[in-house]
Amino acid sequence: MGINWKSLLTLALGVTGAAMWIAQAPANDETAFAMPSAKTYVNECGSCHTAYAPGMLPARSWHQMMNGLANHFGEDAELDEPDHFAILKELETLAADGTYVTMRMRRINGLIPPGSTPPRITETGFFKYLHDEVPAHFWRRKSIGSPANCGACHPRASEGRYAEREIRIPPQ
Amino acid sequence: MKTPLFLTASLLVSTAQADTPQQVLEGLVAQAGSASTMRGEHLFRGKFSGGKSAASCTECHGGDARTAGQHIKTHKRIEPMAPVVNRERFTDPAKVQKWFRRNCPEVLGRACTPQEMADFTAYMVSIK
Repeated sequence: MGINWKSLLTLALGVTGAAMWIAQAPANDETAFAMPSAKTYVNECGSCHTAYAPGMLPARSWHQMMNGLANHFGEDAELDEPDHFAILKELETLAADGTYVTMRMRRINGLIPPGSTPPRITETGFFKYLHDEVPAHFWRRKSIGSPANCGACHPRASEGRYAEREIRIPPQ
Repeated sequence: MKTPLFLTASLLVSTAQADTPQQVLEGLVAQAGSASTMRGEHLFRGKFSGGKSAASCTECHGGDARTAGQHIKTHKRIEPMAPVVNRERFTDPAKVQKWFRRNCPEVLGRACTPQEMADFTAYMVSIK
């Protein structure tokens, strides 16, 4: 069998098929958290703080938080009713014990005692475990300020991306 | 054939076009009657007591509205507020109302008056 249009076509189809399969395959990047699809989440929640990944807390934490938005860590963060319920639904679905759970989310949830409802991601065992080598004075740098400011060192935090290779710790 | 096309085109135009800061300001001035950039700057820089979390707008937004600020509690970067450097600012009346509603109690301990909102916006729009 020499080179003819049939073999070339087969090769072309094969290469295209392989490329499509590779593009479709899951990235297997467990550092990426699923984020709410509605822009409302980033606009409403992500204005004052990082738009935290829902998968970092269990559904009961998000539930408690959304019930107390009138006094949200000292500030009034109440939402319109449609936004409130749209965001709550996404938070519950994507929570660490929600509908779409990755291995990483299982580990996050596994380190939260079943009887507790952590109000802060920074209080969870998995967060502490991953950040235990960050010296306290790093957090105090002006552009970081506090462990709540994910985006200071994880540039794509608001997209749910926290890969170690993307970490950039600002020098001041 | 021409009418549906025209309708589609005008619909596209009306949804794609956000207000300009000048239009948003005009809307607020219509409520207040007048606006003063000087009073607006005073409101932006002034120190107040009775606010829930900050004594001045500048604590979070910085003294120069053309540069980014930083949230005093979460330390998240806050994009500049002056439309001259941030084209998204003061283009959505609902968003403008929302942030006055949220932030006036934080600094003043009460809601802003229509006059204050018009003054503040006039100052922001006037920054070159």
